[in-house]
Amino acid sequence: MSQRAGWFAWLIFMIGALYFVLPLFGTFVFSLQKVRGSIGFSAYTAAFANPDFLRTFLFSSLIAVLTIVASLALIVPTAFWVNLRMPRWRGVVEFITLLPFVIPAIVLVFGVIRTYGKPLTLFGIPLLPPLLNTELSTNIVLVAAYTVLSLPYMYRATDNGLRAMDVRTLAEAAQSLGASWVTVLMRVILPNLRTALLSGALLTFAIVIGEYTIAAFLARPMFGPYLQLQVRNRAYEAAALTIVAFALTWLAMGIIDLITRQRSTPLTGGR
Amino acid sequence: MTFLALTNVRKVFPNATTPAVDDFNLSVQRGEFVSFLGPSGCGKTTTLRMVAGFEHPTAGAITIDGRDITGVRPNQRNIGMVFQSYALFPNMTVADNIGFGLKVKGASKAEIKQRVAEMLSLIKLEQLGGRYPYQLSGGQQQRVALARALAIRPQLLLLDEPLSALDAKIRVSLRNEIRAIQRQLGITTIYVTHDQEEALSLSDRVVVMNAGVIEQIGAPFEVYNFPKTAFVASFVGTLNIFEARVSDPAAGVLQLSAATILVSPSHLSGRRAGEAVKVAMRPEMIHVKSTGAADENRLTGVVENVAFLGAVARIHLRVGEMTVLVDEFNNPHLAVPAVGSALTCYFAREGCIVLA
Repeated sequence: MSQRAGWFAWLIFMIGALYFVLPLFGTFVFSLQKVRGSIGFSAYTAAFANPDFLRTFLFSSLIAVLTIVASLALIVPTAFWVNLRMPRWRGVVEFITLLPFVIPAIVLVFGVIRTYGKPLTLFGIPLLPPLLNTELSTNIVLVAAYTVLSLPYMYRATDNGLRAMDVRTLAEAAQSLGASWVTVLMRVILPNLRTALLSGALLTFAIVIGEYTIAAFLARPMFGPYLQLQVRNRAYEAAALTIVAFALTWLAMGIIDLITRQRSTPLTGGR
Repeated sequence: MTFLALTNVRKVFPNATTPAVDDFNLSVQRGEFVSFLGPSGCGKTTTLRMVAGFEHPTAGAITIDGRDITGVRPNQRNIGMVFQSYALFPNMTVADNIGFGLKVKGASKAEIKQRVAEMLSLIKLEQLGGRYPYQLSGGQQQRVALARALAIRPQLLLLDEPLSALDAKIRVSLRNEIRAIQRQLGITTIYVTHDQEEALSLSDRVVVMNAGVIEQIGAPFEVYNFPKTAFVASFVGTLNIFEARVSDPAAGVLQLSAATILVSPSHLSGRRAGEAVKVAMRPEMIHVKSTGAADENRLTGVVENVAFLGAVARIHLRVGEMTVLVDEFNNPHLAVPAVGSALTCYFAREGCIVLA
């Protein structure tokens, strides 16, 4: 009975794996056929040779790094405080951080454009000039929008990291030794969250690199819209870039796995 | 002279109907070792946390050396604390853990190095300064936690059930080590535990707590032998407690359900004949062989069970409706009675405590 169930589970797994791998394999094979009648990497060479590739990729990387910094600044103190002082608010904070999963990016970007495309006022009092008028302010809005998109990943990773250690006791131990809240956060909590934060950061990086909707509607030179443009005009190069994007994501996942395995020692408890 | 004083301290947590700690008054002398003993939820850890500054009293005041610290932040109290879960910083080596407090206070590298070496020597872990907490056993981790708390030269040391997570043998050796270090440094110490053996063996004085209030404060000998309340009597040590009725208060005669016994008349002063009381006796005060004329009381019953506890054999003797626990000290020639056999036990009237 259990052996049959085992086979059935394997069958389902294989179907799922094929469903995922086959299109990817097809894309990879397609990307190798740029030159008619031969197999080669000329699509990759052409894609990398395009100056727009490097330009959009570097810009997306910069935005991703800035998003990670903003996310860390927002999420770490919030998750720390929720774990330590306001555990009753955990449900509310988790709900808010999961909202980007239920609100489509297209809704988010229209909201952003409607709100920040004109002067922001409160009861007729001007608070902010239109933020989408200059490149710099649009980039700031872009980073803010991506920070919202990264909330589920970054909060989950940080919260998991905090739950893996006894935050309250560690903080109290540090306080009893004379540490202020800032010292507790910087010298005790953050160093022990390194792995969790790295996981969240790499996931955020992968999301920002491949994001299309917000970047396209805010008209920023990001990698996502560039990739979409390639799909329309240069099918082989687009296929090559898709494979490269997948490879980068997997590389990020591999790094997470490697770091997590290296730091598999317990955070508390004895031998 | 009083060093630490808690005056009318009360703590009511938000949304709680009853106070966690109520009307808590305690004076601790400099260099004294005081234990808070009580069951889970009795308020002992809450009281300790108020002294540490992690909880704020709803009412009352806490002073150290005459200075009111009730509103002082925990990081400005200079109080060392050791936690049940060790709370060592996982990202730091043993030496870095011990030196953390000094580093926070801005001590020089040379000063930190010297103090860390002193502390490592104090806990006899000189060779393990470079290890990380996860590379140490539980006992070693707790010694490091103690060294870390002491490294800052605190004015007061607080220990919150520091041995609860350790196995029995290490618990005993480490508690002796803690006491030796405390005596060596002469540091005023508050120790929270639910383990009566720990409290009795370590402390100069024991504060027995129940339901947020102090039941009794006294030296271990006093608390064990002269419990003031039924709770202290039943919580500290093993005790036989029986319902009784006063027959003759002047002669110290009590009527149990299955026998008549004698107690010291002083225990019955102010009692009237016919009044219901509770009488208690320690199992080790009852003998299966009469030790002489002092053993005025005797109870005869049937042996229900015999439990061998190492140092003693505990006999469960059924006397009418009562089960009497009798401890016989172990020796190689001990004749353990058979279950089901008839047995008479003896005890002196001085061994009986009439509870309030």
